[in-house]
Amino acid sequence: MIRTLATSFIAMMAATAVTADDLTVYSAGPKPLSAALAEAFTAKTGIAVNLFQSTSGKVMARYEAEKANPQADVLISASWGHAITLSAAGELLPYASENAMTVPDSLKTEDYVAQGAAAIAMVYNTTLDMPAPAEWSDLTDEAYKDMVTMPDPAASGAALSLVQGLASQDGDAAWQLISDLKANGMIVPGANAAALNPVLSGARGVVFGAVDYIAIGQKAAGEAIEVVYPESGTVLAPRPIMIPASTDQADEAKQFMDFVLSEEGQALVADRMILPARTDVKAKRPGWDELALIDFDYVKAAAEAEATIDAFTAATE
Amino acid sequence: MRSQRRLSKSMMPISAHKPSGGVLRASLFLATMGFAFVVVALPILAVILFAIFPKLNELSFIGPFSNLGPHLNDPRLLQAVFNSVTLALSVCALSTALAVSAALLRIKLGRRGAIWDVLFLVPFLVPPFTGAFAWIQLGQRNGFIEQLLGFNLSAMLYSFFGIVVVMALNLFPVVYFTTSSALQIVGQRYDEVARVFGATSVRRLFRIVLPLVGTAIVSSNLLVFIMTVEEFGTAEILGRRADIDFVVTYIHEKLSDWPIDLPGASVLSLILIAIALCAYYLHLRLTKQVTTSVDEVQSQGRKSQLGTVGTTISHIALGGLAFVAVALPLLSILLSAMMQRMSGGLVWSNLNFNAFIALFTTHEDALSAIATSLHLATVTALITVTIGILAAFFIVRWRSVLSDPLDFLLTLPNALPAMTLAVGLILVWNQAFWPWTPYNTWWVMLLAYTCIMLPYPVRMITSTLRQLPMSMQDAAVVYGASDLGVILRVNGPALLGVSVASGFIVFSIASRELVTSLLLTPPGFETVSTFVFHQFDQGSVNTAMAMSLVSVLISGGFIALANYLNSLRPEKGH
Repeated sequence: MIRTLATSFIAMMAATAVTADDLTVYSAGPKPLSAALAEAFTAKTGIAVNLFQSTSGKVMARYEAEKANPQADVLISASWGHAITLSAAGELLPYASENAMTVPDSLKTEDYVAQGAAAIAMVYNTTLDMPAPAEWSDLTDEAYKDMVTMPDPAASGAALSLVQGLASQDGDAAWQLISDLKANGMIVPGANAAALNPVLSGARGVVFGAVDYIAIGQKAAGEAIEVVYPESGTVLAPRPIMIPASTDQADEAKQFMDFVLSEEGQALVADRMILPARTDVKAKRPGWDELALIDFDYVKAAAEAEATIDAFTAATE
Repeated sequence: MRSQRRLSKSMMPISAHKPSGGVLRASLFLATMGFAFVVVALPILAVILFAIFPKLNELSFIGPFSNLGPHLNDPRLLQAVFNSVTLALSVCALSTALAVSAALLRIKLGRRGAIWDVLFLVPFLVPPFTGAFAWIQLGQRNGFIEQLLGFNLSAMLYSFFGIVVVMALNLFPVVYFTTSSALQIVGQRYDEVARVFGATSVRRLFRIVLPLVGTAIVSSNLLVFIMTVEEFGTAEILGRRADIDFVVTYIHEKLSDWPIDLPGASVLSLILIAIALCAYYLHLRLTKQVTTSVDEVQSQGRKSQLGTVGTTISHIALGGLAFVAVALPLLSILLSAMMQRMSGGLVWSNLNFNAFIALFTTHEDALSAIATSLHLATVTALITVTIGILAAFFIVRWRSVLSDPLDFLLTLPNALPAMTLAVGLILVWNQAFWPWTPYNTWWVMLLAYTCIMLPYPVRMITSTLRQLPMSMQDAAVVYGASDLGVILRVNGPALLGVSVASGFIVFSIASRELVTSLLLTPPGFETVSTFVFHQFDQGSVNTAMAMSLVSVLISGGFIALANYLNSLRPEKGH
């Protein structure tokens, strides 16, 4: 017991060695990406990084709870809506990185910029006795009865983007599509992994609105799945990097943002099968020129997000 | 000097029922209360204040109560409260039925039944999140059961009933351990007397045995009730599929879904506190009705009291329960870990141990995550059991006006969703005005774990202490035993079993705690559960499951070892 207590004490000493000079980064998954970015950044600049790795929701919850004594110097979320909300509340430090020159205008503002983006796709299991889908609306067909899953837009920023995009492009037809899917037995089991796992294991056939990079990675690992981008158009789920205005390490935070947007940083993003924010960095997956994207107003959509989620809930009841 | 004081005291007519003075007891009391205040009351107070002052996170007190009205009028909430309470009552009923039957069988087996004590700890070692996933893997369409046997359980699994069964299989050990230690104390004597006088076995069970362990059953049911209301993993994973809303899933939605609403989550947490308060009062009234204590501690039955046939049948019955509650989920986790491709199905070419090998070769952080979790779990177990024993004495024996509030306070952490508690801890400790703060260090994890786990030892030890005969303590005090002597020498040996058991439970749960860890981990700090979660999140299901299994085996191994060492200890009075 004495030894245990002694070890605890040592652990405490080690843990308190976090100094004020370090850069504190709160990042949503995937973890290997944030870890690789932090490591390469430290190697390049000598600035140590404290990385808190969690889900987008918990990153934001921790940021909110810490407002009396803010800790984070950089926030990376998987949900563009988070950045829009914080920006509207005036909580972000404006910064335009030189490295963001080749990032498309839709993925940068003066307050925040995308690290990269996921595209939203249909992912289907190829081992099942089921035709290959090509369009979103195909999934209302009898052949996909009780086969479809979808991430919950309330829990997945990516699924929310898809619903927003479809609704702004197709209007009421989009809500009709959602309720037809529901009538065809679609389930909405939770966040992204909860929607994808039943398809991987063959309990269900196809995900409506999957985050593509996870599925592309799994297909590369040998899973019997295919990723389809409908020609009628899909949406991107950009991953914002933000610097909270409360940071006391503004210079280091800006350097971190520069690094993530540098060719080296963007190559690390590409390694995780995520679409790099810069159009001049080669993607290891379907890139900017291969995707048909629905153009919609992210800021307006974010302002209406609550109404959109309510409309989704109504359509699936 | 102390002996003099004791001497003069022993010459007066005394009753240990009344609180009596003493510097030692006063300082122990202050230490226990102070500990409870810092570890439990502060974060809970912060949550309550946050519900009242929605800008508390910015240390501002504007707009008091502005948040309560809109949230309490939410129509979704009423349905969620109803679902949560119904679920909790159903889980209590099923766990009690399973656990009490198991405990009655096990106690008859004497020492030969020890294997079941170890096995029934396993459900605690499996995180609810992983456990629910294991059941889905087994029971869903094209799941393991369908691939092997040709049918699936999905209609049953994704229903209210399915959630009740999965949770009860996870929680029944709480009742099992409390009841079987109570049965051990009660012994067989009263039962024997009744048998000699010709009572039937059913009559003996309901008139003698169950009433004697009533306190233990009621007290552990309080834990099960509150844990069910608070538990998130199963409610989320299975509840979403069954379209059933619970208070705890609603709270989590506010904490992590867009738009994040921390004060709203605090308001809903108050409702959970209110539910817990009602349950606690019901428990107090029931306890008053059922409390019995025996006048002499019985020695443990060392030999099986059953014949060969009875022993075999008992082992088969307990084995059946262990198969469903322990073997099936573990097997499902093992198969999920061995599957190279989830879409590849259960064929030999798709199964190997690569995920386990990768854990120790390519994932360098896996081993340190295991070490961190074991370390935290051990320290948490030692601290909570120590406080649990002290608290039990202040709640049961050395009563004062603060006894019941202390009891309720130490039960409360179980009623709050762990994530709300984590928010409370951030609100308390992430303040610039503290000269030193545990926040962002290892210590905040220990604080969080200690707070969450304290209810287990407190409940278990309190209920056992209630049953212990008062006569021994009175005798000891008359002969001049000090308060510490009463704890260590008199009641200690009788409490040892339940203390060790509660320590194991704390160790098990702490070694896989997920929810607070996800929100509170200091930068660069990883536990088993956060490792599993991140692997799962990235789609590496087999790595996540391999890590879960390794952690279950290591923690289980520690418990089995400790249990074995404990059994080598010479029994008193033999």
